[in-house]
Amino acid sequence: MNQLALLVALPLITAFLLPVINRVSTFAARWTGPLVLVITSAIGISFWPQLGDSAVAIELGGFRPPLGITLYADKMALLFALATSIGTLLLWPSRGEDKLRQSTLALILAGSGSGLALSGDLFNIYVFYELVAVVSYGLIAARSTAGSFAATVRYLIVSSFGAALALTGIALVYQATGTLNLAQLSQLAPTHLNNLQGLAAFVLMLIGFGVKAELFPVNTWVPEVYATAPTRISGLLAGVVSKLALLIIVRLLVLIFHQPEALTVMLVLGILGVVTGELAAWRARDFNRMIAFSSIGQLGIMFIAFSIPGEAGVFAGLAVALHHLVVKPAMFLLAERWQGSLANLAGAARTSPLGAALFILLALSLIGVPPLPGFWAKLLVMINLVAQENSLYMLGAWVIMGGAALEANYLFRVASSFYHRTDEQTPPAAHRPGDLATASLLGAGLVASAFLIMPLADEIEGVASQAADKNHYVQTVNPEQLP
Amino acid sequence: MLDTGLVLYSAAFGLILIGIAGIVLSAHLVRIIFGVALLEAGANLLLLLATWREGASAPIIVAGRVPEFMADPVPQALVLTAIVIGVGILALALSLALRVQRAYGTLDMHEVRQRMEQEIADQAGIDMPASSHAPAAVQAARQEGSA
Amino acid sequence: MTPLDQLLALSALTVVAVWLIGNRQITGWNATILYAAQGVLLVMMAGLGYGDVQSIASSVTFQVLGHGLHWLFDGLSWFFALITIGAALLSSWFASGEWGQRYRAAGGSLRLFHTALALNVFSMLVLLASGDLLSLFIGWELVSWASFLIMALGGATATRYAMRYVTYAFTGAMAVLMALVMVYTQSGSFEFQAFRDAVPTMSAGSLWLIVLLFAAGFGVKMALIPFHLWQAKAYAETPGPGAAFLGAISSRMGLFALVVVLVQLIGVARLADLQLVFPFFSARDLLTWVAVLTLIFATFTALKQHDARRLLAWHGIGQGGYMLLGVLIADDLGSAGGLMHVFNHATYQAVLFMAVTAVIHRTGTSDLNKLGGLVTRMPLSFVAMLIGIIGLAGLPPMNGFVSKWLIYRSLIIDGSPLLFLASVIGTLGTILSVYKLIHNTFLGQLRLEHVEVEEAPSSMIWPMMILSAVVFITGYFPGLVLDWVASAQAAVGLPELVHTLGGVPSDKGGLDMIWVVSVMLIGFGIGALIFFAGGRSKRVHQLDNYAGGHFLTAETRYQYSDNFYPGLMHLIGPWYRKSFRWLERGFISTVDTLSQVMQGLYRAVHPSFYLLVVVVSALSWVVIK
Repeated sequence: MNQLALLVALPLITAFLLPVINRVSTFAARWTGPLVLVITSAIGISFWPQLGDSAVAIELGGFRPPLGITLYADKMALLFALATSIGTLLLWPSRGEDKLRQSTLALILAGSGSGLALSGDLFNIYVFYELVAVVSYGLIAARSTAGSFAATVRYLIVSSFGAALALTGIALVYQATGTLNLAQLSQLAPTHLNNLQGLAAFVLMLIGFGVKAELFPVNTWVPEVYATAPTRISGLLAGVVSKLALLIIVRLLVLIFHQPEALTVMLVLGILGVVTGELAAWRARDFNRMIAFSSIGQLGIMFIAFSIPGEAGVFAGLAVALHHLVVKPAMFLLAERWQGSLANLAGAARTSPLGAALFILLALSLIGVPPLPGFWAKLLVMINLVAQENSLYMLGAWVIMGGAALEANYLFRVASSFYHRTDEQTPPAAHRPGDLATASLLGAGLVASAFLIMPLADEIEGVASQAADKNHYVQTVNPEQLP
Repeated sequence: MLDTGLVLYSAAFGLILIGIAGIVLSAHLVRIIFGVALLEAGANLLLLLATWREGASAPIIVAGRVPEFMADPVPQALVLTAIVIGVGILALALSLALRVQRAYGTLDMHEVRQRMEQEIADQAGIDMPASSHAPAAVQAARQEGSA
Repeated sequence: MTPLDQLLALSALTVVAVWLIGNRQITGWNATILYAAQGVLLVMMAGLGYGDVQSIASSVTFQVLGHGLHWLFDGLSWFFALITIGAALLSSWFASGEWGQRYRAAGGSLRLFHTALALNVFSMLVLLASGDLLSLFIGWELVSWASFLIMALGGATATRYAMRYVTYAFTGAMAVLMALVMVYTQSGSFEFQAFRDAVPTMSAGSLWLIVLLFAAGFGVKMALIPFHLWQAKAYAETPGPGAAFLGAISSRMGLFALVVVLVQLIGVARLADLQLVFPFFSARDLLTWVAVLTLIFATFTALKQHDARRLLAWHGIGQGGYMLLGVLIADDLGSAGGLMHVFNHATYQAVLFMAVTAVIHRTGTSDLNKLGGLVTRMPLSFVAMLIGIIGLAGLPPMNGFVSKWLIYRSLIIDGSPLLFLASVIGTLGTILSVYKLIHNTFLGQLRLEHVEVEEAPSSMIWPMMILSAVVFITGYFPGLVLDWVASAQAAVGLPELVHTLGGVPSDKGGLDMIWVVSVMLIGFGIGALIFFAGGRSKRVHQLDNYAGGHFLTAETRYQYSDNFYPGLMHLIGPWYRKSFRWLERGFISTVDTLSQVMQGLYRAVHPSFYLLVVVVSALSWVVIK
């Protein structure tokens, strides 16, 4: 049971021991990181069947909540913790001069990301959030170019501003309830937080944590950072870290803040995110920024989906999030060789036929073409949005449809340029087998899930219903009632 | 006589507002970083004030005498953590600012943003987005600059 | 395994087989044989076509996210499937042999071409077999992407037009998805029956929106006004037999979907009830006028074209208007005319595209201003084109006449004089422009560079002759096709047409093609007798011409081909203001500007400012609420 804490502790310890190991043997240092991640992934996967009936709460140090910190593992949390470990493993920084530093930072990212997913205490979440932020600053600046420093410092400013606002929100919550344990907050919320103060706290925390989740309007850092950071790190940020931040916000919504205004704020910001992201992507002329803007748009769709009340919203949002988790890192892996201007990619199908085919597969799934899983996720979102019979939700549905049409246009503009070779230009670079192997693995997973969509959908629905069950959470953690 | 609570709360919100003003209104990177520091200080103070009570003493039991009102120690511990995080980020921010200064020679955010975008565009091999309706002289200068 | 499963499995197998056989000459022949096998399987399901069997279901069903997916064939699907497989068979035959050799020598990949064609057939069969709204959408998306694949094969220009298609098609698909989800909300399930039951209870507003969305989405594929701008150029640039296939049946998939949704599920009567502010304009009127305007605009745009393929592609767009018009009249005559027009049009559009491709194969150009006089060099292609043209113009003895007669008759009975007038104008335009086509290609003066041109190879001649024979025979005995049309009508819920082998009996003056064609043949026979009995005429070389006391040499161009109808163009020319192009361009530049604005948003110096603004406004909204 307590081995779940290893998902957090093991990568952290290894990260700090890594320089020491490096002194002893560089070979060991290069392989320790991936090995540790394999172990944590194995631990996580072995836990999955146990969570079938009920979630698990671990009291760290044996202290009962709310004085102690709990780790809460339901299927959704474990899923994202696993995604962090496996994602960091797949996107392990393998290039660059200072592999040691990047490996250390990546391990800390894996550990603190898992902690973020599993944590059951609001301040603990804040600490892990800041840990992930600091580590990502270090990883983004890994290329040590001037542009990367500038992008990092701009990201730092926005992120710190957001984190300070989130802290203010946490202060407001504590002031109202006197506790920061999520389960106890869930019990106290209807009486203490169902007012203006609670709503204000939610708005502050939404926008504060939303910086990482690429929420509009705090996502201006996205195109700059994805263009200057190493592509694997961009893939990690876009694929994994953004989902973790989103997970926190969803937990807050499900457990604590039940006011409809909270959902409305998320819906509006999600709609704005889709509109700005997809429209900005339309004119993007380099590959990295095109997928950065597309990522903003997709996260906007996730925010719209999660703003649907009830379990249906969690299910729809989770489907889109999991789909994006697989597709975006794969696209960033393809971007590793295709970084430059889009015009230079003409004829890429000759130099890298598998890469071109993968790009088309990922694009089709992203825009939602049946029978790929992206279609089912989008269908789920659309059905639930239109079923709300509220004009703002209908607007969200229209916006998602318009965004998909735009996305089809710009993604296939690029895809069709792959197949037309012009002899005057230098052909684009070919992919290395290493990048393509991981990307093909993700692509194969996508196709497999298209075939296995029925059991997969049932499984995800199970995850969502467990996550949306507030009472189950409170019962599992079972905080003491302090005098 | 000023109410202590009013003073403390206005200090906290004041720090927050000054910090925000610094971040949003300044063009100089170091000023912005100071703004972040002030903002975090204000947020920390606000967290501390969450369970402040007039006349409460420190949460320490001395010689068996339990004080009547004790300030809640939990937010004090949390704020310690938050201050440490803030210090770490401040250090990181200043070192990044140093790097930016060395790379670009300036800390004016307008300049820095422009140069960063130019660098991204050059690396990708595309032109920076610019108005297509600029007068002929400006366009010619632009083309000479990129040639 | 039901017959439908067998057909779909064989179709999927064709795709795989063609891909595996690869870029070889034999690919085309194998594909042709496999299409023939699919045709045989389809013929075994012929009970659907004659009304003996109501439907054949597939044994494959899925349950995803609580929605059931199932597939079945009914009379309508069978009818369309017959046309699809027939068109694929003949196009694939055409593409084997010399055309395939030359395509491969020019750098094209036969593997890709035939796989694209097979994928198109498979996806169309899946669409035709849809048994509920969700499988309809899945089939629709598959068809859209398969069409893109075959359009994009033609090279750089083709890809540009294919991209335009993708934008239109995908926006249309999103409109369809929106409509689907709205239907789901109102009816609670994706099943056809649930939709049908929910229609009477739907409010006028929501039903209008659903109808408009479905019409727009499916109308993009059919190239209805105002979504017609992409089709002509995209079809024209598709490699030869691919264009024949697309022109024959691809846009009719839109008609199939429209028939299923608007006619079978919603019902034309309900469409006529959906009225706007002024009670004499209903949804049905809107759609019929869109159909008629498509007919007129497209046909007269075809008049202006000087590239033979573009001319034919524009005609394809226009004739779609006839089909929709007929179906929307929704009585027995009109809907039979509309549905039969699908079959008829497929036959003569295919034969015309094939003839034009044969001419390109031999002369290297499809520019009407650079051709002429090929009748003696390519007589069989001429016959094929002649038969196709008479069919397209809708004149006896070809099958086009029957479907047009049915539509005209039903328009008069329905009491729509304006629509009747408009459709007659459309036919006028068709006759004018097809004459231009055949005159500039085959009649008139032969060019010196084309003196050595030979007849098209047998792999091209055979499909053309088969199609010409079909056009003639179904014109002679329209009852053959009307049987299938009647069972399609029954499947959709339209009144069935009472017909005989020769046509439609009626005491107010029916149609009996057997009489008409026989009289024509007898007339021609008498004429031929007189011609051959009265003395042999002297045969002269085609370039030996003599006029006005002068010998005309072949170098002097006296063929009148460019600006063929100056009088008419003078009249209607000013009406061509390219307004739709302007609209499209305006829309694109709006999106472009908005995109620039959004990009500018993301280049801000102080992103924290946005954060502050949003936090303040959100908090103040929260406070005020």
